[in-house]
Amino acid sequence: MATEVKLPELGEGVTEGELVKWLVKPGDTVKPDQTIAEVMTDKATVEVPSPIGGVVKELKFKAGDVIKVENTMLTLDGASSAATPVKHEEKKPAPAGATAAAKPIPAPVATTSATYYPPVADSKVLATPSTRRLAREMGVDINQMKGSGLAGRVTREDVMTTTGGGMSGGMDIVREMPRPAYQGPAGAAEERIPLRGIRKKIAENLQMAKQIIPHFTLMDEADVTELVKMRESLKDYAEKNGTKITYLPIVMKALIATCRQYPMFNASIDDAAQEIVYKKYFNIGFAADTPNGLVVPVIKNADQKSILELSREILDLSKRARDGKLKPDEMKGATITITNIGSVGGTYATPIINHPEVAILGMYKISDKVVLGSDGEIDVIKSMNYTITADHRLIDGAVAANFLKEFIGRVQNPGRLMMDMY
Amino acid sequence: MAQNFDVVVIGAGPGGYVAAIRSAQLGMKTAVVEREFLGGVCLNVGCIPSKAMISATHFLHKAQHDAETMGITIKNISVDMKKLVGWKQSVCDKMSGGVGQLLKGNNVTIIKGEATFKTAKEITVGGETITAKNFILATGSRPIEIPGFKFDEKDILSSTGALALEQIPKSIVVIGGGYIGLEISGILSKLGTQVTVIEASPALLNGVVDPECAQVVQRKLVKQGVKVLTNAKAKGQKKSGKEFEITIDNNGKEETLKAEKILVTVGRRPNSDQANLKTAGLQIDDKGFVKVDAQRRTNVPNIFAIGDIACQPMLAHKASHEGVLVAEVISGKNRVYDVKTVPAVVFTDPEIASAGLMESEAKAKGYTDLKIAKFPFAANGRAVSIMETDGFVKMIADAKTNILLGVHIVGPEASNLISEAALAIEMGSRLEDLALTIHPHPTLGETMMEAAEATLGHAIHIIQRPLNRGKDTHP
Repeated sequence: MATEVKLPELGEGVTEGELVKWLVKPGDTVKPDQTIAEVMTDKATVEVPSPIGGVVKELKFKAGDVIKVENTMLTLDGASSAATPVKHEEKKPAPAGATAAAKPIPAPVATTSATYYPPVADSKVLATPSTRRLAREMGVDINQMKGSGLAGRVTREDVMTTTGGGMSGGMDIVREMPRPAYQGPAGAAEERIPLRGIRKKIAENLQMAKQIIPHFTLMDEADVTELVKMRESLKDYAEKNGTKITYLPIVMKALIATCRQYPMFNASIDDAAQEIVYKKYFNIGFAADTPNGLVVPVIKNADQKSILELSREILDLSKRARDGKLKPDEMKGATITITNIGSVGGTYATPIINHPEVAILGMYKISDKVVLGSDGEIDVIKSMNYTITADHRLIDGAVAANFLKEFIGRVQNPGRLMMDMY
Repeated sequence: MAQNFDVVVIGAGPGGYVAAIRSAQLGMKTAVVEREFLGGVCLNVGCIPSKAMISATHFLHKAQHDAETMGITIKNISVDMKKLVGWKQSVCDKMSGGVGQLLKGNNVTIIKGEATFKTAKEITVGGETITAKNFILATGSRPIEIPGFKFDEKDILSSTGALALEQIPKSIVVIGGGYIGLEISGILSKLGTQVTVIEASPALLNGVVDPECAQVVQRKLVKQGVKVLTNAKAKGQKKSGKEFEITIDNNGKEETLKAEKILVTVGRRPNSDQANLKTAGLQIDDKGFVKVDAQRRTNVPNIFAIGDIACQPMLAHKASHEGVLVAEVISGKNRVYDVKTVPAVVFTDPEIASAGLMESEAKAKGYTDLKIAKFPFAANGRAVSIMETDGFVKMIADAKTNILLGVHIVGPEASNLISEAALAIEMGSRLEDLALTIHPHPTLGETMMEAAEATLGHAIHIIQRPLNRGKDTHP
């Protein structure tokens, strides 16, 4: 008898994925836990394992199809017993040189997992039918809301002013955006492709961030002569320890130390509750350019990792980001982000904050520069530009200026980083 | 050649045809498969024909009993049963025809025949294969048969047969005192049939409606000449001559009743044993309902189920609501079945209508402190002027917040009054919201406002004792 293999849950808030390719074909024998397909979600490309073994009978989709979670992907003949349930893996820093592909969370066995979010309003929730529908369309779980009206009534305004998806953070928010049509001139050479997957998510997130956050950007330049020297001197040591040292982990350390001085940079605004959330942990996102578009892998608890450990993790995450094999969890939960387009070029940029974060640091190209030194001598220095972009609701201009000054003080004098060490 | 659709709806009842129209409105290529008649049981052998018969017999009853009091003498009132049934049929035909026009006007393909699943993506209808990306199962329910009382629809009747009678029977035994049994009992009794209702539980409409509402109806039925036996079960029947001898267990004693016809209305069962649902892989629960989630999606993701086949309550308006819901879910909208109440109406004389919780349900939900009051139709000018003063409006509210939890009406036009209550409950209204809304005079609707006032302790048109209006009821 044929057994159905369904597309498992691929991560929180992920309801469907686009089939990239099959890794098996009809007639193949599949072992439990063997990877059977690559599926691209709006967050990452993941490898999907079969929970059971058997002989592939029929593939139900073809590459390019969008498959909903819990839809049958393929059928197996002579299915063997179910694989040992894989435990939800703890997020540990990946070991050096780790190339293990993302392992999706296995599908829960025989549960009718809801295909809808948010959950149905509880019968005691006080809200009119149209307000309940509005909340649903905005992805707001009305059961979690404190209504502002009499006896806790949730009003239309209450729903409108939430940032939505309250439980899982801003990355999952889908807002009703105006969607103007575009009609090109008749006969123009144009090609239309669906706005889907990662590109769609990027578009939604950035549009929302720009709508919600009043951005401002401050720019300055740092003399990184010492920093360059320090990195040069550490190259060999890093290589002996199986990694390659870049400026990014060092900048991360300088950023964390400065955030400790100015905690409002490592924070969020909970618009629904009208509260500022100060975060006592440091998860640093770094923007990575990939063939599929921009993704932001996150180094969790970066303050508790050595520069060497950070280097390894950055290399691993970057590689898997390029290959489209990051787990959804590895792109979540950043408290502040660094964008590093220095390797490409440009003097300055005005980045967009990765909501619900409130700041993003930009680092740019290192160049040789002739300057007039304090002693009147003409010097040649290594110069590097930095920007700090902040949420003006929370961070005043003067605060940002001080933040940038302190930060640059650290990168100009890497010895100071020693002073910040725990 | 196989036909392919975005959506195929199986069953053109009040769930199915609504689902089909909304699917088509949303731009999906839609077909509806119907084996019998457009509009389903509701429009053809259920809600609509029974209401036609009820309004006709209500009219007859008023002409016979109330007209004289109003000074109108009508001599030689008689019923031409053939003509009455013909008129009833014309009502049904008009409605069913309307459904057909609506479907066609929305470019829904109507396929006549019995659908059978071949796979989860394929059905056959009369040998033709039809494929669809999504199926909406809306195949409804049918009357439950009990052992020893096999329907022949001539003498042993289900509701279908009872509504198609072309002669008025002299006597009938109605097995089952639920809403269908009582509606038909009312019709036949007013036409002159000697009706005996046998109900297995201790009360009519047991557990379905507010017990006080059911009592009002029971009293009126008895006054009208209907014999009501509670705690009584039908054991068997045999035909002797033109009549049936029906053995019953009446409160533990065996008795025999004689009647020309037997009507069995002990409930309805989902048609989940038809259309080869198991082949499609659908899970069915132990009551025969197809298992669905809050989007009315079955365990097979491209098959949805709505109406009587999916879950309680088995009511046409719930099915229609689900039909719209499912069409929108299929089109990609985020929808779930998210309602606070499905109002229900029993077209007895007087009518019973309810929305929200009964007292027992409110307590079970954890509302410990309730405000409950009634306002009688006898204190309403309009009710007096139409000579229909039996009954009341009863309201149940959370005493802590005055938020309305339930409304139970027994009385004239209860069916038309209940929508206000349903709206109030959906909106999360407080008693004050109803009390402070001006209701036009002189109307039956004023009883809603007055009942809200009564629940707050200070209705104008009844004297409430004790005068418990010490507490500020308008915080």
